[in-house]
Amino acid sequence: MVFSDLFFLFVFLPAFILLYNLCAWIDRRRTSDPLHPSMIWRNGSLVVFSLLFYAWGEPVYVLLMIVTVALNYLAALWMTGVHRQGWRKLALTTGIAVNLLVLCSFKYLGFFARTLNSFGVGVEVPEIALPIGISFYIFQSVSYLVDVYRCEAPAQRRYADLLLYISMFPQLIAGPIVRYDTIAREINDRHVNAEDLSDGVFRFLIGLGKKVILANQFSEIADRFLANGLDSLSTGGAWIGILAFTFQIYFDFSGYSDMAIGIGRCLGFHFKENFNHPYCCSSITDFWRRWHMSLGSFFRDYVYIPMGGNRRRQWFNILVVWFLTGMWHGASWNFIIWGLYFGLIITVEKFTIIPMHARIPRPLLHIYSLLIVVLGWGIFYFEDIKALGTFFSAIFGFTPHATDFTVESAIFDNFWLWITAIVFCMPVRSWAAALPQRLFPTHSAVSGTISTTARIVSAALLLIVSVSLLIGATNNAFLYTRF
Amino acid sequence: MLRHYIFLTLTGLIFLALAIVFLFFPRSTFSELERRELKRAPEFSTEKLFSGKYTDELSSWFSDSQPFRDRFMSLSMSLKKLMAYNPGATDEQFSFHQADNMESALMPGALNAEESAAARALQAETDALPDQPAAAGADAPINSTRGGTFVIGSGENVRALMSFSGTEKSANPYISTVNEYARTMPGVKIYSMVVPIAIEFYCPAAAREKKGLYTPQLPIIRHIYSSLQGAHPVNVYNTLNKHSAENIYLRTDHHWAPLGAYYAAREFARTAGVHIPELTDFDQHTIHRFVGTMYGFSKDIAVKNAPEDFVYYTPKNKNHTCTFTIINLDKDFHVTGEGKPYKTSFFKKFKDGSSNAYLTFMGSDFLIVKVEGGPRNGRKLAILKDSYGNALPGYLFDSFEEVHVLDFRYFPRNIVQYCRDNGITDFLFVNNIFNACSTGVAAKQKALLTRKAPAHTSQPSASASPKEAPAKEASAKESSASAKDTPAPTQESQAPAQESQAPAQESQASTSAPSAPEPPTTSSDSPTQN
Repeated sequence: MVFSDLFFLFVFLPAFILLYNLCAWIDRRRTSDPLHPSMIWRNGSLVVFSLLFYAWGEPVYVLLMIVTVALNYLAALWMTGVHRQGWRKLALTTGIAVNLLVLCSFKYLGFFARTLNSFGVGVEVPEIALPIGISFYIFQSVSYLVDVYRCEAPAQRRYADLLLYISMFPQLIAGPIVRYDTIAREINDRHVNAEDLSDGVFRFLIGLGKKVILANQFSEIADRFLANGLDSLSTGGAWIGILAFTFQIYFDFSGYSDMAIGIGRCLGFHFKENFNHPYCCSSITDFWRRWHMSLGSFFRDYVYIPMGGNRRRQWFNILVVWFLTGMWHGASWNFIIWGLYFGLIITVEKFTIIPMHARIPRPLLHIYSLLIVVLGWGIFYFEDIKALGTFFSAIFGFTPHATDFTVESAIFDNFWLWITAIVFCMPVRSWAAALPQRLFPTHSAVSGTISTTARIVSAALLLIVSVSLLIGATNNAFLYTRF
Repeated sequence: MLRHYIFLTLTGLIFLALAIVFLFFPRSTFSELERRELKRAPEFSTEKLFSGKYTDELSSWFSDSQPFRDRFMSLSMSLKKLMAYNPGATDEQFSFHQADNMESALMPGALNAEESAAARALQAETDALPDQPAAAGADAPINSTRGGTFVIGSGENVRALMSFSGTEKSANPYISTVNEYARTMPGVKIYSMVVPIAIEFYCPAAAREKKGLYTPQLPIIRHIYSSLQGAHPVNVYNTLNKHSAENIYLRTDHHWAPLGAYYAAREFARTAGVHIPELTDFDQHTIHRFVGTMYGFSKDIAVKNAPEDFVYYTPKNKNHTCTFTIINLDKDFHVTGEGKPYKTSFFKKFKDGSSNAYLTFMGSDFLIVKVEGGPRNGRKLAILKDSYGNALPGYLFDSFEEVHVLDFRYFPRNIVQYCRDNGITDFLFVNNIFNACSTGVAAKQKALLTRKAPAHTSQPSASASPKEAPAKEASAKESSASAKDTPAPTQESQAPAQESQAPAQESQASTSAPSAPEPPTTSSDSPTQN
């Protein structure tokens, strides 16, 4: 199930809201201390619905997740049960090894086998379907073990609570990668007021709109040019196609994160932001501080710094981190090339752009960064290396067709879509939020009324437009659920 | 705080309203817009549950069968239209829509979901087809993976076109098939009519100049006609071209208009050397406010906003008898047998505003149709056609003694046998250019020549067949014909009134031919002639 599925919106979500509120009522009746109400029933219903949510797409692999969580639960208990540093480390290593083993067997085994085969080593290629969201929940498991090891959060005493953290449906299948220390406290102690609910609902609708109104349309355009018929791809078509994909992947993924953060907020969880207007970046280094921040910080805190960070073997560390970043996105060489491509550029930037940053005009920096990012999505899009080659020769003009009318049609038939997308890559939401206050600095009632009205109108429009676009949508899968 | 409550209440109310509509209102079962039956709630099985298929189907059923689906889709299309930028709409302006759903809808093997509605409708009716959801047979496979639709013009003159990109080479299997027919049936005059599709005559100049989706069809048709051996080309290209200012193609449907079919029929009559009445000698009928398949294919609201008149012609002479034999299909659209022949009208009547106007002709493609009562000139015509051919036979009732209309996709018998049994003297292929450029279609048509006689067809005994004498005669002939085809003794014992349940061998025979044609460029199995 995905958030932009009508079934989710109109069956799962209403059922969940009803049951969760019923459980909240039971919880309130069971507790005497209003400041620390019991969470048992609410958390129970959240776990049940999360498992249902996952089982909807993976009725068998849900067991894999439950078992993985159990192993992590035991590893963390083991870790806290012993006091010698060596034993703790052993517990941590074992736990991480088990997690990575699960990830490798289900995500990378086929890839390894194919790679070995291409080097002439004949091995059987196993046919294993990738469990949805495994990359996300395995990383969250690792985060749990490391945070417990570092004493940043206590180990969970209750299995169900750990299952809640790993399986919580808002962030289960496409992130953000919520780190354990961020929400450890909130699992059993959280509060929701009207503002949380209102912000959460609005955030969810913004995410839904990003996905359904923008990303889905751009996916149609991108696939029209890139999905097949590459042999007759024109240079203009290659650029328009990959630009459309650039918008698609941003609005798709950040829309999902918005929805996750929004639902989390309604439940009383505060997930960290995952995107900070990445296409406004001024360098690639900057881009990766703004794009999929939860993944970047995961690799920084759990891989790069433990390996020695800037202090020793920095180049090797950078190489490893970017190799892994690429590989995390998929078991295919193009993702590894994509990761290394960014690793290389960031390394070069350390000596060139970063020291001179203040002296280069910002528009120039901006254009440079976007060019690198867009070409990067070209590597990202094509899992087939041959298609990748065809695409890049087309985009650099090695094709008989400079352009064709489909390019024109893609631009003008979706003209306002492109404009909207460009506008919403910029931080318009914070501008808009600040605007009534700026216009009527002395009348807080007026500015409050304006912003509330604007919010109601946009929410209504987002909901109705998204739902009508969803009916009959054929291309509604989230890109990141396959990672 | 108050404003948060206001926001939550209002948003909650809208959500609640939508949820109530989606959960409790009657679900849609058929999409007029997309011409297909919507998904049904899946049946539960443990196996399906564990493979994830059950939940998957449940989700897609839920989103497919939303209440007011077509209205929401129209809204969604209008919204999409708003995204376009039109500086002063002109007739030269056009927009292009990719064929996301069209490709599958037009594949002969895949389109069947929509035709099943037509078949059911037809099987239920006895005489006049009720104006209920059904679908015109869309049979043209799209040859280019980057195919799509153009929508040109503005206002009432909007015209939706399918893009075309075949090659001369891609027509070689078709040529070989027609020539094979000529070799196999030396006593029968074989004609080949390849009908260009609308984009040939209405392609906007801007799109014509640019490389992309427009391929001239004339060179391909020339190539076909110059390669025929023993078969006679029916050159409808010139006459259609000459009349292209008239409404010879439907603006909102992927078929040609009955008027275009008349010019083609006249050209055929000239080639075959038979008389054909003037157009004014036919009765003219109009179905107003017709919006055809291209609306669903292009998903462009402009098409819906430009309905057209569907004008068709019926012979003044009403003395023909028309016998239908329904071809039964299972739910996977494999032929399972034939129904009893019965007499009915060739033309079905549709109300104004019906989107099924093209079904006026016979109402379906799952038929063997035989029309008698023409001049006693000893000429008997069989038409092996795709849905373009549906519009043609109505003009020829007074040109041939008998006209037989057979659909190559569903015809369940051996065609040589059929022609011999019915004394066919003239045999006409009618294919649109897509099908003429399709390896799969050519193979399917060729396979009819060598098809083993079907093991089971329905055995309507003379006593059980329709009431009137001519029909009795017809069905007697039919049954004797199929008696020769069918050695199976079980048939005789069946209750005559009962529709026969034909076993699976039949479906094997009729669907073993590739139903999803390969792109033309891959047709390496072409004959040697060029």
